[in-house]
Amino acid sequence: MKNNIKSLSEHESKRLLAGYGIPVTREILAHTGAGAVAAAREIGFPVAVKACGKTLVHKTESDAVFLNIGDEAGVNQAFERISENLSARIDGVLVQEMVTGIRELVIGLHREPHFGPCVMLGAGGVTAELINDTSFRVAPIDEIEAGDMMNDLASRAMLESFRGQAPVDRKSLCRCLTAMGQIGLEHDEVYEIDINPMIIKNDGQICAADALVVVRGKN
Amino acid sequence: MIRELADSPLYGIVNPESIVIFGASNKYTAMGTSLLASILSLGFPGPVYPVHLKEKEVLGLGAYASLEEIPDIPGLAIIVLPTGVVAEVLDACGKKGIRHAIIVSGGFVEVGEDGARLQEQIKDIAKKYGIRFLGPNCIGAVNTHGKLNATYFSYEQKPGFIGMASQSGSFITQMFAYLKKYGLGFSSGFSVGNEADIDIVDCLEYLGACPDTKVIGLYIESIRRGREFIEAARAISVKKPIVAYYVGGTDAGKKAGLSHTGSLAGPDAVYDGVFAQSGVIRARSMEELFDFCWCFGTCRLPAGKRVLIQTHSGGPGAVAADACARAGLTIPPVGKDTKTLLAPYLPSTGSVNNPVDFTFIKRNTDYLADIPDILVKDKGTDAMLMYMMMPRQLVLRAMEAFGITGDAALVESDKFIDEQAALLAKRILSADKTFVGFSYYTGENRFISSMYEHGAPVLPGPNRAARALGAMARYVDLKKKILSQG
Repeated sequence: MKNNIKSLSEHESKRLLAGYGIPVTREILAHTGAGAVAAAREIGFPVAVKACGKTLVHKTESDAVFLNIGDEAGVNQAFERISENLSARIDGVLVQEMVTGIRELVIGLHREPHFGPCVMLGAGGVTAELINDTSFRVAPIDEIEAGDMMNDLASRAMLESFRGQAPVDRKSLCRCLTAMGQIGLEHDEVYEIDINPMIIKNDGQICAADALVVVRGKN
Repeated sequence: MIRELADSPLYGIVNPESIVIFGASNKYTAMGTSLLASILSLGFPGPVYPVHLKEKEVLGLGAYASLEEIPDIPGLAIIVLPTGVVAEVLDACGKKGIRHAIIVSGGFVEVGEDGARLQEQIKDIAKKYGIRFLGPNCIGAVNTHGKLNATYFSYEQKPGFIGMASQSGSFITQMFAYLKKYGLGFSSGFSVGNEADIDIVDCLEYLGACPDTKVIGLYIESIRRGREFIEAARAISVKKPIVAYYVGGTDAGKKAGLSHTGSLAGPDAVYDGVFAQSGVIRARSMEELFDFCWCFGTCRLPAGKRVLIQTHSGGPGAVAADACARAGLTIPPVGKDTKTLLAPYLPSTGSVNNPVDFTFIKRNTDYLADIPDILVKDKGTDAMLMYMMMPRQLVLRAMEAFGITGDAALVESDKFIDEQAALLAKRILSADKTFVGFSYYTGENRFISSMYEHGAPVLPGPNRAARALGAMARYVDLKKKILSQG
């Protein structure tokens, strides 16, 4: 079975999530330097430029992500760097809005033997595994259950007003968690999902800055 | 989900009219003999038929050389035989018309592939005849209210209110003595063994519908019908508390996969979620599981998280307050009305903060009667924790002060202790507030053992009492959540 597991690209992953109403970054997949610049103009600076491909799972570790680019020259430069290093492995270059917020969540889906699809909410970012502050539920879950997951987190205070930031839009986060469960129940081929980071913006809105959907082939 | 008790496959297992037992002899080295002895010592009211090839009599009962000779269709077959003959005997049971069995014998899926094949074989036989069975590789089942103890440990206390289902046989049998120390016992208990047919979810459903069971305890290593468990537990937990102790969820289960989620998802964290969404209270040890069951079975549920602590010893009161805070409870200041009512009882050294610490008590009855009567009426708190200790030595000294000495003092002190315990137990059990006692003394002390006998919860130490109160408050929250989900 392991051989049948493969990941979707970030862009494909986000399109699946967006289809379930999960807020994701505005982004355009570009294939040329000029295309990337045009995309950046449309989205508005500053932008993030990322390599986009199915085999790129932990992008921050492979020099494939350039954040906070403020001008066209920067976009061109990022495009060149990615093309040089990774051209064989990518579908294109993803130009996306820069989402800023000091609070990061991880939202996930996995399949547990005997229980089926399970939804996860946790403290996110690159240190998610180190911090290991998570809450799980077996799908389906309703918004009340999703609210209970938020209360389970040791770092739940970050969901309230925190350092001048607005409290998280709980309703939106609840809908996002229930949608994850729905994806697990409706898409048997979806094996695992990571949304990390799910950024809580200064105004409390949430947005998936990165996402990974792992699918399993039919035997 | 079953609609009523009699719909459960376990109903016939622990409420049979008559029993046939295979594997009992007159030798106590045989497990079957111990099992039959347990059945007899609890006084099972129906006929019990031992089947034995050679013996004419087994433990004083007339024995039968074969199943065919029994002039009755037994309600339950208990099989404690070598692995190799189980299938044949089960088939004979099916032919005879027996529809319920407990298969104690081991040597099945737990020993490898050959065993797994044998287990499939007995499943097929059971299916063919419509036999429902517990096991194999289990220690049996007990229904104390129905006077059936089909395990190989004897049950020597009153029927209890804790319904237990366990994926380890030890936590049925070896807990009889543990519970007896606290005046507790099982209503029914099931050792599920390999769960080839009846599983822990069936047990949960039975205990949920069982009128003698006030609270359900589960010892879990792995739930195989996960989604059915959640459905059953959600339906039951809004009516009856379920306490579970889960083991087996270590990080070894985590997998290094493509995703963060995969590596964060250890079974322990998933079971936390399963329990939270099912309304199940998770205990961290077997002792804690029974502490929680004890309080759930004897106390009113708390309306909230505010606790009032009564003590006459500073340390235990402070520890109780600290433990309450750790258990998610609060210790609010004592209300003005309560303060006024307490004033006459308070020595100059005492304190009407919370914990209410009397430091010194003029009369024992003040501490045991008048003061708790005032505190349980306090409007600003939802639960009460009361420190208890009454060493006989102190009572004897008080007797001496009144000129009672020698044997008379011993008799009088016992009488006094018993009377006071009876009165306090009555107060605790009828209180309008959640009321839990705690002490560093246990059953070796007459006052505490007398409290146990009267069925009042006096937990060993403040930490355990606070954790139990915390569990009750959590249960109230979970129940509210599940009810709101419709």
